[in-house]
Amino acid sequence: MMRALLMLAAVLSLVRAAASADVTTVFPAPGGERQVLQLYTATDLEVFEPLIHGFQQVAPDVTIRYTEGVTNSVFEKARVDCAAGRTEADLVITSSVDHLVVLANEGCALAHRSPETASAPAWTRWRDEVFGFTLEPAVIVYNRALVPPDEVPHTRADLISLMREKSERYSGRIGSYDIGLSGIGYLFAAFDGRSALIYGRLIEGFGRMKLVTRCCTSDLIREIGEGKIYIGYNLLGSYAYAARRKGAPIGIVIPRDYVLALSRGAMIPVQAPHAALARRFLDFLFSPGGQKIIREQAFFFDFSGKLPEGVEGPALPVEAGIVRPIVIGPSLLPVQDRAKRQRFLDEWRRSIEPAPSPVQ
Amino acid sequence: MSRVPSLFGRLIGLIALVLAGGLVVLGWASWAYARIAADEAYDRLLVGAALQIAESVSTEPGRITVDPPISAFETLAMAVSDRVFYRVVDPAGETLTGQTDLDSARRNGGPRREASISDGIYRGFPVRVATLGRYVTGPDVAGWIEVTVAQTIAARLDLARDLTLKAMLLVLGVSGVAMLAVVVAVRQGLRPLGRVEAVLAARDPKDLSPVVVETPREIRPLVAAINHFLQRLAERIAGMERFVADAAHQIRTPLTALTAQVELLSSEPRAERRRTQIARVRERTDQLGRLTNQLLSHAMVIHRREVVPLEPVDLVAITRAALAETVPLSLDREVRIGFESACTAMPVLGDRVSIREAISNLVHNAIRHGAPGHLSVSLDEENGGYRIRIEDDGPGIPAARWNDVVLPFVRGEEEEARTGGSGLGLAIAADVAAAHGGRLTFCQPAEGRFAVDLWFPPIKPDDAGEQE
Repeated sequence: MMRALLMLAAVLSLVRAAASADVTTVFPAPGGERQVLQLYTATDLEVFEPLIHGFQQVAPDVTIRYTEGVTNSVFEKARVDCAAGRTEADLVITSSVDHLVVLANEGCALAHRSPETASAPAWTRWRDEVFGFTLEPAVIVYNRALVPPDEVPHTRADLISLMREKSERYSGRIGSYDIGLSGIGYLFAAFDGRSALIYGRLIEGFGRMKLVTRCCTSDLIREIGEGKIYIGYNLLGSYAYAARRKGAPIGIVIPRDYVLALSRGAMIPVQAPHAALARRFLDFLFSPGGQKIIREQAFFFDFSGKLPEGVEGPALPVEAGIVRPIVIGPSLLPVQDRAKRQRFLDEWRRSIEPAPSPVQ
Repeated sequence: MSRVPSLFGRLIGLIALVLAGGLVVLGWASWAYARIAADEAYDRLLVGAALQIAESVSTEPGRITVDPPISAFETLAMAVSDRVFYRVVDPAGETLTGQTDLDSARRNGGPRREASISDGIYRGFPVRVATLGRYVTGPDVAGWIEVTVAQTIAARLDLARDLTLKAMLLVLGVSGVAMLAVVVAVRQGLRPLGRVEAVLAARDPKDLSPVVVETPREIRPLVAAINHFLQRLAERIAGMERFVADAAHQIRTPLTALTAQVELLSSEPRAERRRTQIARVRERTDQLGRLTNQLLSHAMVIHRREVVPLEPVDLVAITRAALAETVPLSLDREVRIGFESACTAMPVLGDRVSIREAISNLVHNAIRHGAPGHLSVSLDEENGGYRIRIEDDGPGIPAARWNDVVLPFVRGEEEEARTGGSGLGLAIAADVAAAHGGRLTFCQPAEGRFAVDLWFPPIKPDDAGEQE
């Protein structure tokens, strides 16, 4: 088991290096295969795997095919499938919930209503077609060895002044997503952009600091652990915590001014060949057993808002107001608006890359 | 018993039907109204979102840009489950952003600042579409851009359903209360009938006095009708009792006499006396027979008055028949009998049998008691009606007794003894005349003449036997 996992991890990192092709992993039914469930996801397998095993414990006759891609490829495939009227995916899972909202808006999703799905907060659900099943904060991650405790930023204002006051020290040492490549990075940036003043100062600082941009959370976290990057901004808290649990020398800060909270989304495509099985899997994600795995083994944060051991910052009560949930619903539609996206990306690039970039 | 229609049930059923009809109409009306109200409410959001998107349009050198704000979609997200589509078109007709196949709600004319709103179908979803324009000017472009926002109508339908449901609950509640009130009111309203029933039920069967019971105005005609009926019943029973008593008395006297005659006869040894006795017995028997006939005919006349409906009959024909049937009695004297009629037919509403009986009786009386040698029957028009006059040259009845003789059995004892009549003939005739709305009168048309007149009213154009 452990060996398999390690091997898988190795394969996956290779794949990531290739950075585009989808990889399918098969989890044969432990109790003899009678049904096959095809998941199509933009979630790291090592994060998601405990949920697959958890599901196979309650449904031992189900073989699960786990196809992993990046958020944009998942979106493209789902969109093309929907237009073509056929798909092999039974359940689409991605952190870019704005993609799912666009798909559902266009009628590509199947509705599912059950006591399990109804138990989650209303903002994580749209039309009973898009379901957010996690609560993942956008956190600040830093290298514990390289960032002295008094320099650890706890708010965006802290980060802005740190970039101004210790510019030589942190230049080229602050990382975040390349929002042109990372769906989640773009989503977080778009919501940060709603606080225009602080966002403007932030990306202006990033530009001066020669922000290191990467496509994916895991790359950023790895480089922070390795000390190539000192501070990472707006990273997915769940991935960061998983790395920390594995011994990465990193600290995780929940910003005190406000924290964006994402609920990773799932959707059953309207032509899903095994829709009933997909519903069952969805219900499992929201069941107490599924939520326990999410909290303890997969994403470490859940709807309760309790912080896992070792995370710095205030707890995450959604009511307290510092949490800004990325509400799953029509308000995510403009995030994917092509004009808006283009404009936003242009602005971002202009700030991040001071010299006119040859790349677009 | 259960199949008998109930007044209560009918009233309640009718009112329930009216209320149910009202419910249907109100339901339909409130749905229509709720749809309008829901559209008005959500149209504002739709137009608001379109405005926000239009405000986000700006010009840069060489191009027009649009930045649909998240807040616009948060506004639309008030309709939680509805899909949203939008499109921004530049002055050249190029789609700046959004769904390129979304149609504008503007039907004719160029884009204007005011929003046009319409219903439509987009990708198979029923949607509400709002379109508005905004004039932009830049260094090298100027013109109207057009913003169209469409939203599915689930939230509108939900709101309309909710409004309708609430309105209907209210209407149902009010209808329920109204129904209850009606039930109580109808019960209350029918209660006086129950009182009348109780009074009638509690009554002694022999008690035919008018019912006295406190009732509302609407029930009074019923009580009056009952009382009228009771009165007629009482009169009828009284008449029958009187008739039975009179008849018993009238029959008993000749029977007693007959018994005495028969006694005498049986103890009479002499054959010659016996013959005269037998003649007397026969006379008494005849007398008794006549009396019985008259009693029966009186009873018949009274009975027919009550039960036989009047029909158009011809007085002339009836009179002629009655005369022909009565006259051929053997007469011991020479009597000239005349018949004349002013018209060939005299139609009246009447009972043929009773009228004939009346005329027969009068003719019989005249022959028996009056006319020594002359009897005439004549028919004339008089006072718009018809008069039958039976005239003879006999002594007649003294004017002082004209009022009495029409009552049954009123005839002096001595007179009865002399004539052997029962005195019922005039009473029968008078009864018949009264039953037809006519009258019986006496007169002395000339010295030594006496006449009995029967007058019948003509058929009124508008009646068909209502004379009772």
